[in-house]
Amino acid sequence: MVGPLLTTKLHAPRRRRGLVARARLLEQLSRGDEAVLTLVSAPAGFGKTTLLTEWLAAAGRPSTAWLALDQRDDDPVLFLTYLLSALQRAAQEVGGKALTRLQEPHASIDEVLAILVNELDALEDDIVLVLDDYHVVSARDVHEAMTFLLEHSPSRMHLVIATRADPALPLSRLRARGELVEVRADDLRFTADEAAAYLNEAMGLALTAEQVVALEARTEGWIAALQLAALSLKGRDDVAGFIAGFAGDDRYIVDYLIQEVLQRQPEHVRRFLLQTSVLERLSGSLCDAVTGGDGGKATLQALDGENLFLVRLDDRRHWYRYHHLFADVLQAHLRDEWPDQIADLHRRASAWFERNGERSEAIRHALAAADHARAADLVELAIPELGQGRQEATLRRWMEALPEELFEARPVLSAGYVGALMSTGDVEGVEARLRDAERWLDRTAPSADMIVADDEAWGRLPAQIAMYRAGHALVHGDVAGSMGHARRALELAGPDDHLGRGGPAAILGLAYWTTGDLDAAHRWYAEGMASLDEGGYRSDVIGGAITLADIRIAQGRLREAMRTYQQGLQRAQQCDPPLRGAADMHVGMSQLLLERNDLEAARHHLRRSQELGDHGGLPKNPYRRRLAMARLHQLDGDIEGALELLDEAERWYNSDFSPDVQPIPAVRARMWIAHGRLESALHWAREHGLSADDDLDYVGEYEHITLARALLAQHAASRDLDPVDQATGLLERLLHAAQDGGRTGSVLEILVLQALACQALADVPAAEAALRRALTLAEPEGYVRIFVDEGLPMASLLRAAATREIASGYVRRLLAAIDATQHDGPIHQDALVEPLSKRELDVLRLLGTELDGPEIARELFVSLNTVRTHTRNIYAKLGVNNRRAAVRRAADLNLLSPAPQR
Amino acid sequence: MSASPVGRPDGSPWYEIRLKGRLDPRWAAWFDGLSVTTTVDGTTALRGPVTDQAALHGLLQKVRDLGVPLLSVTPLDPEQPRPPTA
Repeated sequence: MVGPLLTTKLHAPRRRRGLVARARLLEQLSRGDEAVLTLVSAPAGFGKTTLLTEWLAAAGRPSTAWLALDQRDDDPVLFLTYLLSALQRAAQEVGGKALTRLQEPHASIDEVLAILVNELDALEDDIVLVLDDYHVVSARDVHEAMTFLLEHSPSRMHLVIATRADPALPLSRLRARGELVEVRADDLRFTADEAAAYLNEAMGLALTAEQVVALEARTEGWIAALQLAALSLKGRDDVAGFIAGFAGDDRYIVDYLIQEVLQRQPEHVRRFLLQTSVLERLSGSLCDAVTGGDGGKATLQALDGENLFLVRLDDRRHWYRYHHLFADVLQAHLRDEWPDQIADLHRRASAWFERNGERSEAIRHALAAADHARAADLVELAIPELGQGRQEATLRRWMEALPEELFEARPVLSAGYVGALMSTGDVEGVEARLRDAERWLDRTAPSADMIVADDEAWGRLPAQIAMYRAGHALVHGDVAGSMGHARRALELAGPDDHLGRGGPAAILGLAYWTTGDLDAAHRWYAEGMASLDEGGYRSDVIGGAITLADIRIAQGRLREAMRTYQQGLQRAQQCDPPLRGAADMHVGMSQLLLERNDLEAARHHLRRSQELGDHGGLPKNPYRRRLAMARLHQLDGDIEGALELLDEAERWYNSDFSPDVQPIPAVRARMWIAHGRLESALHWAREHGLSADDDLDYVGEYEHITLARALLAQHAASRDLDPVDQATGLLERLLHAAQDGGRTGSVLEILVLQALACQALADVPAAEAALRRALTLAEPEGYVRIFVDEGLPMASLLRAAATREIASGYVRRLLAAIDATQHDGPIHQDALVEPLSKRELDVLRLLGTELDGPEIARELFVSLNTVRTHTRNIYAKLGVNNRRAAVRRAADLNLLSPAPQR
Repeated sequence: MSASPVGRPDGSPWYEIRLKGRLDPRWAAWFDGLSVTTTVDGTTALRGPVTDQAALHGLLQKVRDLGVPLLSVTPLDPEQPRPPTA
């Protein structure tokens, strides 16, 4: 965070004396204790905040977390930091773990939210979370985070939102479920009785009934207006005349009344009010800095005493703010009367905040002063901190507020912009900013035209830019260029610059992977991860295990791949809850276990991954998990389900900088081939312009092996010799390429296919020779499915090998496995990784009704906790995270149709 | 967005934002230089060029924040900046 956490934002404002009792509204609010969300939605000045503070001050209320939002919180990381801090103040046991995770470099928002939901779930007592001024939030990320919280809302948490505009949350859904309590403008308006109570009792004005009615009618019960009217009336002799004049006027009420109030202030107070209206928070010292006076503190206390415009932000009467409505009106007066002063006022505020260590406020005021040079300096100095805290949204907003031409002379700022763009996955604009920065690097002598605020960052700039260049080139498919830049970045980075060394080394590893040089790829990538590990980037290191294991698998080193996943899992589990990436490790282990034909264990790991959810996974996990599930479905005989999962996997595909060495369309083509849909597979090959004469490269290897499979299948179907000839030639070339690259995993598969091709051509010795080589490579690593998946043709080859006593124990195991596949029918509820128990099906059926949790428990004669456990299991098995999705998925899978009589 | 008004080639589209109550002319600066015209029927019209939809929403947000009731938003023909008589 740039600047300290403002604890004033976490204080519910002090309750004012002399309020009107609003029993009807308090009763309405108390219904919120049963609802998920209470929405207090009305324009400014309708007493939303006051009502809430009064409600919360009542005795016996559950503990409350209060968060007053402002424009800066339109950044998901900042928003969550405040939200979690607010919760933690209210209940010590909540928010701590989530906050720790949020501070972990490169942790994800989803993950933090999931941890928060768990923490809330464990709460013993109710907690109320109030978000005041929610209308300032426009970032979709923030709305999505809140929607997630609402949809997973544990019963202990009640959310209260006060806002001037209805928020972008699923309100109609909540309303339909009766989970929304609303208090709107018409509820909040003062009734005639309340107006009378306020004016006469609270403000002590002694007005007649007619006068009260006149004021109530003119203001339409708008509380801010009545309040101003009361202030104007205080100490006035001609009350009747004022009310008549006000009631007969159709000017904007606040204009009229503030004019009245301002006119009655001494000139120095009037000046103070207008000048300090540019501030979002007021303290004596800040006001003095902005006005150039010295009585700030006394003036604030006097205004507070007169109940004039101010809201107290803390108990010590140190920080205040103006009521928003009045601040706007005061600013309008300021712009009208002293337009030339405004920039200076902001500039002085910026300087005060900089001196007091609040850089982000200093930047805001510098931008408001249009002092772009000052803002640019401050932003540049804030870059390292914002980058580490992943506040790219804030950084980008500031960068975008600065004029384009300002970047030309500021290389460090330009490079910071590149970093913000690339980490948000935005490559547009990167090239221009890189060029801006690079122009200055080429100079031999320092130039007077160049502007650098952060000298330390200037020293790191050449290495940093080379790293960005390397990443940028890799994304654009320029592998050689990427390698060159990455090497240069490594040369330039200091020995202790962990990110500066780890980043380019990892990029170099990925570039080598793309070329198919797997030894170099593994070496560089592992070195990169070691540097990142030293720098404390744990999440990135765990994610790196996926790449390292992928490379090992391509090398045919399944045991090492397994060890890599196990270590990754261990690392992830050293934290509680496990770090993001644990889910990915389970998926990887599941795939390896599946190859070993240990389907039970494979299912188990996939289930663990599913339980951790996609939010417990890295960017690749959603697609990798679906890919792994598709394989299991295929083995269970559910081809349609498997193909659907592949479609889903394709939608979730995320390369995350890795080469796409196993494209999903090719995986689908293999599935088609294995299940007799040869035409579709051949169509895929034509569409991708694949032919047996293509030049070969590693990135296309999987597709070319798939083509060879299609050709062999074509021969099997037609007995035509041409396809098998083509396949033989292609396989021979693929074999050489794979051998040269040390890709034993590919070699193995190619040998299996060669054996089958020779068998089809009745060349028994050649078939046997290929098979023998494959068996020798496969046995030590425990491969099974690579043979078993070929079914009966492979069985006859293996039987022949067995008679010649080649690797006989291993061959017998493979034959037994093939035998077993021939008798297995599809399992029940075959679309599920793990079938639902009978009890779970009962609960699922009731989830599809209107019954709530306690009612379901009564219906089934079990405790609510038991229902919760069943529900959790059902969600995990169905791969969903809420009731609606569970019912929908159940309907899709036809799980709720009447059970067959047995 | 065929319904959005077409501005002059050199300028932005024009809009009229009509509010309930008479607003002091000093608000012109607050509303980014739109003209502030009050009428005898007790309403106020803010008129002028608005860069794009985002700017229009920004203006509406300012209206919201003042608690002034919003009556209408009408695109104008910049050649004749008066709302079409319906």
